[in-house]
Amino acid sequence: MSGFGVVLAKECRDNLRDRRTILASFSLALLGPVLFTGLMSFALTSTLGESREAFRLAIVGAEHAPRLVAHLSAQNIELASVELADPRQAVRDGRESLVLVVGPDYPNRLAAGNPVVVDLVYDSSQMGTARRNFARAEQLIAQYGQKLGVLRLQLRGIDPAVLTPIRVSGIDTASPAARAASILSVLPYLLVLVVFMGGFYLAIDATAGEREHGSLEPLLSQPVSRAQLVLGKVAAASVFSAVSTALFLLSLAVSVPFVPLHRIGMSLHIDLLACVQMFLVSAPLIVLGAAMLTVVASFAKSYKEAQTYLTVVILVPTLPLIVTQMLGLAASPTLMMVPSLSQATLITGLIKGEPLNWSHLAISIGATGALAALMAWLAVAMYKRERMLV
Amino acid sequence: MIRAEGLEKSFGPVRAVAGVGFEAPDGAITALLGPNGAGKSTTLRILATVLRADAGRAWVDGHEVSDDPAAVRRAIGVLPHGAGLYDRLTARENIAYFGALHGLPKARLNERVEALVEQLDMASFAHRRVAGFSQGQRIKVALGRALVHDPKNVLLDEPTNGLDVMATRALRELIAGLRHQGRCVIFSSHVMQEVATLCDDLVIIGGGEVRFSGSLEALSRQTGEADLEDAFVRVVGTAAS
Repeated sequence: MSGFGVVLAKECRDNLRDRRTILASFSLALLGPVLFTGLMSFALTSTLGESREAFRLAIVGAEHAPRLVAHLSAQNIELASVELADPRQAVRDGRESLVLVVGPDYPNRLAAGNPVVVDLVYDSSQMGTARRNFARAEQLIAQYGQKLGVLRLQLRGIDPAVLTPIRVSGIDTASPAARAASILSVLPYLLVLVVFMGGFYLAIDATAGEREHGSLEPLLSQPVSRAQLVLGKVAAASVFSAVSTALFLLSLAVSVPFVPLHRIGMSLHIDLLACVQMFLVSAPLIVLGAAMLTVVASFAKSYKEAQTYLTVVILVPTLPLIVTQMLGLAASPTLMMVPSLSQATLITGLIKGEPLNWSHLAISIGATGALAALMAWLAVAMYKRERMLV
Repeated sequence: MIRAEGLEKSFGPVRAVAGVGFEAPDGAITALLGPNGAGKSTTLRILATVLRADAGRAWVDGHEVSDDPAAVRRAIGVLPHGAGLYDRLTARENIAYFGALHGLPKARLNERVEALVEQLDMASFAHRRVAGFSQGQRIKVALGRALVHDPKNVLLDEPTNGLDVMATRALRELIAGLRHQGRCVIFSSHVMQEVATLCDDLVIIGGGEVRFSGSLEALSRQTGEADLEDAFVRVVGTAAS
């Protein structure tokens, strides 16, 4: 076996025995898609279920307004007549989330044709449905009031339409499908992170870790060229990164069918071919990541120092993604020149079920591959310097 | 057989080695003796080809260290200062890794590893991972690693550092054994006694220069001190002042 192969095999075996490295390298790959699909399912169900959910409305003094109560109970609301000394406190304490307070003067004022005030107590700082339920209750009560007003006007022989010379009708074009698609755009970030996290700990261990433990000096006095040594280490980091990426894609393929996309008329299935294509797209990024991590970790003298540097480094590949998302760039040959961005764009397309653009893929592989080669060369050059040992 | 001539090495403004030259024959133990920071480690690292000398030349079995580092690396076994091992690999795997880097074929590699396990008395722990090994056990593994390709020349940088009396004695016997096998052994130390019981030739380094070179008797004769430690202090001290 060549020096390259010996180093590659040793680094893989060595790091496979480190439970911490295994956990840190592969946990994001396995759990990321699960989290992602969970988030997506949640977003979908909350969008779809918005108007159907029944919620609880506590009413204090229900006996004063039987018709209002009857109007409300015709809606999809869980009404509860309660006795509360201090409704505000009850909402603050979280015993009730929404309380309607009807005063004892309600029937008299209503009969006299005077405006009546009812209190609707809620807590807007509460997460979740509090605001939405408040808005619905408010709307329903106003609706009832309007109905009364209309009746009164008609009684007096006036057309109720005179009260509303202008009506605004809002039309929301956001569909649940569009929401789901916007969540899809998280996937490329996740993939880039997974690619970089896969080789993260091995790259540190094989460079700064080796330096910290004092095993680098004897290693460098072996009759193996620096190129073979360093490329062996880069290859080992690539192997871990590749495994991480493969796990991610498989985990994604398994968990995506659990998202209830059929409910919004979308279909998203990632078959084996798409997985293989996505892996092919990611391959040059895997090598680039491994080489980049190796170069930067080589500057560090200790494991901890390297960890600090690399944490910054793994943010770098996400920058182009953020920029494009803000500018909303479409796939183009120029875009394919940018590492991480080109892979993200191609993979988003594959997830959406679009066919792979082979000329784009060629540019992506060429550009990212060239940069990966440059990084690997840089890593070798670093290990040729004496300063590595001083 | 190792020969050095006028080696010089600076790190920034610090002159670590300023003209070191000596000869270490085969079948003998040559000690590099000197106080801390004298330039012993730097000299050994130049011989091991991990550092490049600013000036001067050195030969290992006739191969010049900067002209033909690959040949030099094949001809030497190095036990560097602090001798780092891979904690998650077993003692055998640590030794075998370096043997594989030397390109030993599988059968020969296994043979060498087993021979070293026996020779260095590691049978009781050779199958265990290195994490948790005592300093004495670590030195043995590191020594085994340095000897796996059966090098003619062996460089040991303060090998007895941090060892207890028993481990030091065992190591001393091993080093004596290396001489017996006809190897050229250079080992550095700052402990005079250790050197006196073991070495054939003495090279005393102080301030990056060779202060004395020769046998123990010659040292006594030259300094007029019967006590070796006094002789050492005199050689290093007078030159330094």
